[in-house]
Amino acid sequence: MAKQKEIHFIFNGKEIKGIEGQPIAAALFNNGIRAIRQCEVTGEQRGVYCGIGHCFECRATVNGIPGIRTCLTLIEENMIVTSNLAGVQNDEV
Amino acid sequence: MMKCDVVIIGAGPAGLTASIELALKGLQVVIVDENYRSGGRLLGQLYEDRRKKRVWAGKIIAKDLADKAKALSVKFLFDTSVWKIEDKKVFLSNEVVKVIEAKAILLATGAIEKALPIPGWQKVGVVTVGAAQTFTNLHNVKIGQNVIFVGIDPLSISVAIEMKHAGVNVKGLFLPPTTNLLNQKCNPKEVLESVASAAGMATNPIYRLGGKFVHGAYTKLLLHLLKYKQLKINGIPIYFRKAVTQINGRAEVQSVNVRSLKIDGEVTEVEKTLHVDTVCLSGGLLPLIDLSQLANCVIIDIPELGGFVPLHNEHLKTTVEGIYVAGNITGIEGAQVAMAQGKLAARSILREFNLSSENEISVAFNEIEKARILSPITFLPEIRKGRQIMRDKWEEYLKR
Ligand SMILES: Cc1cc2nc3c(=O)[nH]c(=O)nc-3n(C[C@H](O)[C@H](O)[C@H](O)COP(=O)(O)OP(=O)(O)OC[C@H]3O[C@@H](n4cnc5c(N)ncnc54)[C@H](O)[C@@H]3O)c2cc1C
Ligand code: FES
Repeated sequence: MAKQKEIHFIFNGKEIKGIEGQPIAAALFNNGIRAIRQCEVTGEQRGVYCGIGHCFECRATVNGIPGIRTCLTLIEENMIVTSNLAGVQNDEV
Repeated sequence: MMKCDVVIIGAGPAGLTASIELALKGLQVVIVDENYRSGGRLLGQLYEDRRKKRVWAGKIIAKDLADKAKALSVKFLFDTSVWKIEDKKVFLSNEVVKVIEAKAILLATGAIEKALPIPGWQKVGVVTVGAAQTFTNLHNVKIGQNVIFVGIDPLSISVAIEMKHAGVNVKGLFLPPTTNLLNQKCNPKEVLESVASAAGMATNPIYRLGGKFVHGAYTKLLLHLLKYKQLKINGIPIYFRKAVTQINGRAEVQSVNVRSLKIDGEVTEVEKTLHVDTVCLSGGLLPLIDLSQLANCVIIDIPELGGFVPLHNEHLKTTVEGIYVAGNITGIEGAQVAMAQGKLAARSILREFNLSSENEISVAFNEIEKARILSPITFLPEIRKGRQIMRDKWEEYLKR
């Protein structure tokens, strides 16, 4: 495969490496992160479901703008992605 | 307000092909798509037939079509949803362009996936078969280590094979439980027959099902045998006699409960646990018709086409003046058919501008059946019957 440009961004305080042209959710998957947010009602974790922008399960706050679908939004250098999962310990993974 | 000759909603294979055909004749065309790039469902398609060394790489086909369209000055508006259509005006979610007024509108919005709500389906690690396809083939991401599919149909079989090629351990395809009232296709016999006839109709270079399935009277016998013997496609077990009844895991998927099915689909008591980290749900596809409803097109239910679809003539004109349809919005078929329909719809539109002949229209019409025959995947076994019903309903509509 052709040489691809590395992109660095932050997800809930952690630096993540991705490749140019990848949506946020794909870069997170490649770094072993599948849980993106927490359900406001049940507290259950949520991640990608439809992968195509229909379900909004993958939403996060991107550079201060809430409700952004991470399956449709491409990563950019120094992008700050946060969600209500910040600080939640996941003892299972 | 922006003005143009034709506005196309959906930059999938149908919309892209139509845009090229229209722009070649000098029309001003704008394509609107809510995704960040063009290609629609074509983007995730990647089949390899190693024996024949044939590859269908949707990403590349989509790029070629988009490049051609751009070279012909077709204008693209991405990240933009259409939310209303009224009197040849299309209303957009775009900050800059809020309304486009066009002389003709082509709806090429494609299909959506039906939900398959089995207990635990909201957990992290449960995705639709479409998401699995997109992440595997387009984003080159392994969405899990140990994966199963719930729902046995041509799409789940095809995506399972693609994932296995990508190095994922695909542990098998299962049925959803029969108790799931939202989905009737969980009776082993019906599912086997439907997969067998879809396999028998298409040329299927991909999953070479020939010989694996037996038609008619033999299906029952085969189902009996399948209780003891597994059926495998490309090394992936297909469990026509097992259903996934529950997905478990505290935060993320850790296992599923599997129960055997009687031939009529009744779930038995014995339950086994299977350790997996990812579940792909395949509940089938539905034409995405919301915009045709908003535009007041007459809608009819033709199960052979996949459900409710806008009524249209064989040249893809709807009941509303100036509104045309192409691709999966007219019924669930493969990408080649969507492209052929895009061309036909464009020529029908060009007819309104006196820029195409009856002959050009009939040539494009005949190309649809050719594309159908060549399609490597057949979603609905009775698609031709569905198309015929549509023609009959249109005749009835004209006589009303
Ligand atoms: C999950 C899934 C997997 C599939 N896999 C295969 C396969 O492997 N092989 C195959 O041959 N076929 C497959 N298909 C069938 C597929 O629909 C066709 O191959 C083909 O892509 C249909 O083309 P289209 O142009 O009609 O729609 P699509 O390719 O679906 O394109 C429709 C476009 O319209 C856009 N859109 C929809 N509504 C709006 C709106 N309101 N505003 C703005 N934009 C909108 C969408 O973002 C999308 O880009 C699959 C379909 C689905 C849903
Ligand atoms: S996964 Fe459904 S919108 Fe992103």
